[in-house]
Amino acid sequence: MVVYSFYIFDRHAECIYKRRWLPRPSSIVGSKSSRPTSEASAPATGPPAVLGQSARTTDDDAKLIFGTVFSLRNMARKLGGEDDNFVTYRTNQYRLHYYETPTNTKFVMLTDIKSPSMRVALQQIYINLYVEYVVKNPLSPTEHPGGVGVNNELFEESLEQFVTRVLS
Amino acid sequence: MSSATKASRIGEELWKTRVDKVNAELVTLTYGTIVAQLCQDYDGNYQDVNKQLEKMGYNIGMRLIEDFLAKSNVGRCANFRETADMIAKVGFRIFLNIAPTVTNWTSDNNQFSLVFDENPLADFVELPDDGRAQDELWFSNILCGVLRGALEMVQMQIEAHFVSDVLRGDDTTEMRVSLVRYIEDEMPPDEE
Amino acid sequence: MSYYFTILSPTDVPLFNIAFGTSKSGGDGIARFRFPDTAQYMNQFIIHSSLDVVEEAQWMNGNMYLKHIDTYPPASAYISAFLTPSGARFLLLHQPPQLPTNNVSSATAGSGSILGSSFSGSGGSSSRASASSVAANPTSPQTEEAVRQFMTEVYENYVKTVMSPFYRQGMEIKSSVFRGKVTAAGRKWL
Repeated sequence: MVVYSFYIFDRHAECIYKRRWLPRPSSIVGSKSSRPTSEASAPATGPPAVLGQSARTTDDDAKLIFGTVFSLRNMARKLGGEDDNFVTYRTNQYRLHYYETPTNTKFVMLTDIKSPSMRVALQQIYINLYVEYVVKNPLSPTEHPGGVGVNNELFEESLEQFVTRVLS
Repeated sequence: MSSATKASRIGEELWKTRVDKVNAELVTLTYGTIVAQLCQDYDGNYQDVNKQLEKMGYNIGMRLIEDFLAKSNVGRCANFRETADMIAKVGFRIFLNIAPTVTNWTSDNNQFSLVFDENPLADFVELPDDGRAQDELWFSNILCGVLRGALEMVQMQIEAHFVSDVLRGDDTTEMRVSLVRYIEDEMPPDEE
Repeated sequence: MSYYFTILSPTDVPLFNIAFGTSKSGGDGIARFRFPDTAQYMNQFIIHSSLDVVEEAQWMNGNMYLKHIDTYPPASAYISAFLTPSGARFLLLHQPPQLPTNNVSSATAGSGSILGSSFSGSGGSSSRASASSVAANPTSPQTEEAVRQFMTEVYENYVKTVMSPFYRQGMEIKSSVFRGKVTAAGRKWL
C-alpha cells in the first residue's frame, strides 16, 4: 500500500498541515528519490503522479482537495441526513480517505487504489497524534489564521513513523 | 434510554478507563492561586478578573473539546438538550469528576442551568473579606469560558454565566447556559 | 471550665483568639473567667508567658501535641499546646471553675467584650462540673485526651483555612467559617 499525501483542514477551511510522500518509482517518470517533503513552498516536483498534471503546487492541491471533500460532504449530508458523511472515494488512479471530527477538523489521505479503508487510521492520527501533540501543546496556537499551521516536530515525526511503519 | 442516563454511563466508563488522574488539591490550589493573583494584579477590579478568567477558560475549552472528542469518540449531538447532558455527565465527569444537574430548561430548549453540588475548584476557598468580592467576583468563572470555547468548536455559539455561588453565601452554585446560534460551516476565502 | 484559645504564628504574631466555656456536664459554652475584669489581657499574657516552655518542650519528642505544659497558679490557669509542622502554635488556656460555688454569672459581661457577640450573654451558673469530670480537672488523662481531640480537629480546619487562596501566610485569620468550626470543636470535645 502506498500513501501519497495527507492533509489537515481546520474549521476555518484553512489547510493547517500538508504532507506528501512521493509515489513509488513505478508511478512516476524519472526516479525521484523518495525523500519526503512537507514544505508547501517547494515547487511541486510532480504532485502525486496520480493527479496527472505536474505543474501544480501543493498549495493548489490542498485547495482542490478541500473543495472536493467539502462539496462531497455537503452532498452526502443533503442526501443522507445531517449525520451522514462520506468516507472514501476512488478514481482509477488513487483513493481518497476522509475523516471529519465534530470540531470540523478534516483529515484527508490519498493512497493507491489497492489500499483498504483508512478511516480508522485517520482517526488514530487525530486521537493519538493531532490531539496529543498539537492540541495539547500549550504553545501551539489553537487557530491558524494564514499562519504556519501545524509546525510541530513531534507530530511530524510521529506521523512519518505511523505512515511508514504502520501503514505500509 | 434517556440521553442523560446514556451520557452518565459514557462518563462513568471514560472516567474509569481513559482518564489520567491528578491530585485534586494540586488542581484546587493551582486554580486558587491563579484567581488570587489575578485579583491582586487587577487591583481588586473583580469585573476584570471575571472577564480574564472567562477568556482563559475559552482558550482551554477550545483545546479541551478535542481531547474530549478523542477520548469519548462521541458524535455530534442531535439537539441542545443532548449537548447539555453530554456537558454535565461526560465533560464535567471526566475533567473534574463531578456531574452537575441539568435543570431549568426554557420552553424553547435553548437555555438551561447547571447546578453544581460540589466544585473542586472552590474547595477551601473563602472569598476576600473586602465587602465587594462577595458581590462581584465569580470565583469559578473559568468554567463559563471553557464551555463557550468548547461549544464554539462544535459549531455552537453560547453564552454562559454564573447566577449564584455558594462561596457568596448562596444556597447553590448555578450556571446559566444559553444557546445563541449554531455556527455555519466556513467557506474558504475566495481567490482574487 | 473556661477556655481561651490562641493561634500564634511562628513569629509569635497572634493569628486567632477565641474564648469559650465548657459544654460538658451541662455547661452552656460561655466563658466565665475568675477575674473577668482582667481576663482579657491576663489570658493573653499567661499564654504568651508559656511560650518559653513550649519552645523547650517542642524538642523533647516528635509529637505535635505537647499536652499540658504550663500552669499559672495565681489564676489557676493551665496551658496545653499543640504545634503544627509549619511552626504555628495552638495554645489553649483552661481555667477550672472556682470550686466553692459562687455566682460568677454577673461577671460575664466584663469578659464579653473580647468574646464577640456570641459570648456576651449571661447564662445561668446553675450547673457545675464535678471534680472528676473532663471539665473540672485540667491535668487528668481524660482532659488531655479531650484537648488532643480538640486540637486535632482545629488543626484540620486550620489547614483548610490557610489553603484558601485568599489567605496569605502570617495574616490574621478572620474567617467566620473557621471561628464557627473552632466553636463547634470546643462544644464537641471540651
